[in-house]
Amino acid sequence: MRSVWYFMERDMLKWTRSRIAVVTLLIMPAAWLIFVGLALPVTFTGNYLDFITPGILVMTMLASSLQGGALLMFDKILGFLNKFLALPSPRESILFGKILFMTIRGVLQATVIFCVATLLGASILSPAQYFLIYVILILFGVLLSGLAATVALYLEDHDTYTAVNTLISMPLFFTSSALMPYNVMPPWLAAIAHVNPLSFAIDAIRSVEAGIIPFFQIGLLVVLGIIVLTLCVRVFRNVTV
Amino acid sequence: MVMNAIETLGLTKYYDSLCAVDDLTLSVDNEIFALLGPNGSGKTTTVLMLTTLLRPTRGSAMVCGYDVSREGDSVRKKLSYVPQDMAIDIRLTGRENVMFFAKIYGIPDRNDRVDEALAIMELGDRADELVKNYSGGMRRRLELAQALVHEPAVLFLDEPTIGLDVAARKKIWEHIQKLRKGGMTIFVTTHYMDEADQFCDRVGIISRGRIMALGTPAELKARLMKDVVTARISGTFVPPPLEGIRFIGRTGDEISFTAENGREALPLIAQEITKAGTSLHALSLHEPTLDDVFLTAVGAHEEPHNFDDHRFRTMLRRRK
Repeated sequence: MRSVWYFMERDMLKWTRSRIAVVTLLIMPAAWLIFVGLALPVTFTGNYLDFITPGILVMTMLASSLQGGALLMFDKILGFLNKFLALPSPRESILFGKILFMTIRGVLQATVIFCVATLLGASILSPAQYFLIYVILILFGVLLSGLAATVALYLEDHDTYTAVNTLISMPLFFTSSALMPYNVMPPWLAAIAHVNPLSFAIDAIRSVEAGIIPFFQIGLLVVLGIIVLTLCVRVFRNVTV
Repeated sequence: MVMNAIETLGLTKYYDSLCAVDDLTLSVDNEIFALLGPNGSGKTTTVLMLTTLLRPTRGSAMVCGYDVSREGDSVRKKLSYVPQDMAIDIRLTGRENVMFFAKIYGIPDRNDRVDEALAIMELGDRADELVKNYSGGMRRRLELAQALVHEPAVLFLDEPTIGLDVAARKKIWEHIQKLRKGGMTIFVTTHYMDEADQFCDRVGIISRGRIMALGTPAELKARLMKDVVTARISGTFVPPPLEGIRFIGRTGDEISFTAENGREALPLIAQEITKAGTSLHALSLHEPTLDDVFLTAVGAHEEPHNFDDHRFRTMLRRRK
């Protein structure tokens, strides 16, 4: 599947050419870490930075993926998609290239977060733990990128996409276990947080940090990822007969 | 069996109940074929079907012997498609844009091919600049370079000169003609009649999804129209019978003739008028253009309903 790589390479090259886009995308999560991780007066944990880092990681993957959907939207509006569809490479490689790019970009951001969090005083983990966290982030990235791509293919224009993007990302983040543990949430919030896919990823990362391998959450992310990708490919085929 | 590069048989496309392309049967081979028509007449829909981007409702189309509905992959290997909206990455260099296509096409000696394609389109010396700094004409040529990189047998160009200045247009057409001479089949859509007249081997005039006229520009003009000579005179004049020239009538000071060959008729008519002792003030010759052919072919089939009608009128107004 070389063409998947080449489609990813195009997006990557375009992204790195825009310095402002690169810098803001790397600074944003760091700002979250500093202003939320260090500033909030919390009493339920000793090291809030350790608690919030998984939340910021997952939120960053979420934002990166949803923003990546906009790239697909622009390719669609500006006529790139039609041009690419007339190429002999398997058509799905356009889609997988996009998902690959969104995931890689999210992982790059996650690495920046790890660095910043460590500098700010978060605990240092073992290589195996970092590895597992990356696996979780990649699974989550593919799931969310697939979702973003599906939405982008389904909708007509960029304004609608941005609206839907906000509609998805904000509530999803605030109803997850990113900011506080379940036991300090009001019961209604805890109920929502338990079924929020963001929580699956966040809880999985916290388990890894506590030394537990979260087979259940990883399995759940894999299953959800497969469902979303299947759906995404179907929508793609429908749109591009 | 040797097939033409493009063969369609009863190709039809409906968008819900709206018929965009209606029973189109056409063959095109090693030539520059132009599909002419107003906006919304089905040109782009036809191209989309031929490039496998849209599934026909009925009928069939073959490109290089492969069926567009069933053998899409093989068809896409044979063709290149340059859509109407310019879609190139402006933050990449010209070379990177072409290289991307070369990689996707899996071309073995891609560095050489990319250089070659850029050189053909006269972009060699600016290849490593960002496309942001390219002019409109250069961007269009870069798109052609992308399309040429895998040496396609058939090239589809949707409005290749739209939005370009006169010099840039001429250059694009010269390149297209060069490609034709190299053996490529080129299928363009346009609504610039003068360009089709000047640069294309054969044209099909399409209106409401139907081909209204098909042939070389010269044939179409000859079939539908004669040259018209108009003279402004004062005094009486009784036109004598002249071979190949027919007197149509007089309105005020102006008398008109139709002629098989207008340019040869001019001196003859001038001679006759002077011989009769009538004073001649002006002579003018109107040779039919593809515009006239277009109006004759399309105008007769006008139906007063649906949105195409409005677009079509706007378009006619613009052409004048």
